[in-house]
Amino acid sequence: MHYIEINGLRKTFVVKKKREKGKLFRKKETVEALKDVSFSVEKGELLGYIGPNGAGKSTTVKILSGILTPDGGEVSVGGRVPWKDRKEYVKHIGVVFGQRSQLWWDVPILDSYSLLKDIYRIQTDDYKDRLEELTDALQIEELLRTPLRLLSLGQRMKAELCGSLLHRPELLFLDEPTIGLDAVSKLALRDFLKRENAEHGTTVMLTTHDMEDIAALCSRVLVLGHGRKLYDGRLQTLLEQYDYDHKVSARYEDEDSGNIDHLIASMYKELDL
Amino acid sequence: MNTIHLYLRSMAMLLKSHLQYPTSFFMQTLAQLVMEGGELMVVILVVDRFENLGRWAGGNLYFFFGLMSVSFYLTELFGRGITGDFPSMVRTGKLDTLLLRPRGILTQVFCSGMDPRRITCIGVGVAALVMGSIKSGVEWSFLKALALCESIVMSCLLILGLFMIEGILCIHSVKSVELVNAITYGGRSACQYPIDVFPRPLRILFSVVAPFAMTMHVPAAYILGKPLYGWPLWTVFVTPLSGVVVFFIMTILFNKGIKFYRSTGS
Repeated sequence: MHYIEINGLRKTFVVKKKREKGKLFRKKETVEALKDVSFSVEKGELLGYIGPNGAGKSTTVKILSGILTPDGGEVSVGGRVPWKDRKEYVKHIGVVFGQRSQLWWDVPILDSYSLLKDIYRIQTDDYKDRLEELTDALQIEELLRTPLRLLSLGQRMKAELCGSLLHRPELLFLDEPTIGLDAVSKLALRDFLKRENAEHGTTVMLTTHDMEDIAALCSRVLVLGHGRKLYDGRLQTLLEQYDYDHKVSARYEDEDSGNIDHLIASMYKELDL
Repeated sequence: MNTIHLYLRSMAMLLKSHLQYPTSFFMQTLAQLVMEGGELMVVILVVDRFENLGRWAGGNLYFFFGLMSVSFYLTELFGRGITGDFPSMVRTGKLDTLLLRPRGILTQVFCSGMDPRRITCIGVGVAALVMGSIKSGVEWSFLKALALCESIVMSCLLILGLFMIEGILCIHSVKSVELVNAITYGGRSACQYPIDVFPRPLRILFSVVAPFAMTMHVPAAYILGKPLYGWPLWTVFVTPLSGVVVFFIMTILFNKGIKFYRSTGS
């Protein structure tokens, strides 16, 4: 039994198109966001989830985090079904959206945390320990009394991470966590994620367009395109295999993300995504 | 118990957020005073010109006006999450963030909005109530005070329920919210005046569809000593319960709406 098991996951959306001239009703169109996606994740794994825009990444994350109900397929996370008994399920997960804040904008972040403590019903002692641990690791102690709106982008991302880990989730979803961060913040964030994963065995699922993130963090990548799984395995293998099959002249090394980007881009093009 | 604690703490935090911008907060609170004071002036002018409206004397009208102001703006003060912020929560994806937390959605929506600027509006309403009760020579008794309290609480629940319709519609991405505004804001403007001055269709609308008349006018008429339609005393305490009924039904529909949201992703 794997920690996350996904079998034949399907999700379609109905999109209303703009009304055409002379027609009374708008045309509806169904878009298949996910067509039969299956994969499994072990506990404590760091999984990179990549694919071009509109491939269905966010939809998968939304289903796995219990926001959306799929149209078909089976999902089990640690023996629970995400969209059933939402309140019980979300206690065990943490989600960070790179573009969307879950903290309160105008108050010091410490106040936000203490409200999250009440929302998640965290015991006071446990909360204190965990907060100290996280603020040490993320080095945000001096920011605790600053309102969120006064923080820089990098500081804000650290604050969001801290907030989403207070209740000690087993599973953490990160949606483009390093978007807009400078090099120093990116490295610090990656180090933190590695440590969190190693020390607490937190399973991390990372969606990003930053290949450097994937290369630095993830032992395994999953490539999604047009709602289908295209690849599942090590990043290195993916690159080597693609390089060999298609004789792309791009040279890459482990840390050299510029070339990885080129390679991934040509791969997306090749597969007509 | 824990939920109430959470609500109070959220309110304290939202108040703190509002006070982060003291000048803006002060100016807007003042603007609210001018706005609601203006509304009261209209009633005062009507009373000054006509002295009475149907069988209702001037003082009675102040009382009706005050009851509506107090109920409506108490709801806006404490339930801003429902009465104002919910549509934008759906649009900006804040609702997704709420779905990620182990609490009821309605609880969290309540916890995410308050509008302390409405305090001046409530002040105007209280002034109108006092003025109305003195001018009408109301002799207060325990029963009358009870009727007033019940009326305000039930009216608040009713208004919340009606605003939830708007929330439910915006989950289904229906943009025609104006139709709902006709009974929420429209109801507020119309039902500042007692129901029996209106023509039949409006009387039905505000007695059956959006029963402001049941939660406000029946008890108010009793307090003023002129029972509405000559109904007996027990109706004063029973008809306002329609407020909690509407609230209850809308809560169920609201949760259905959330279910729909989770299956369509709006």
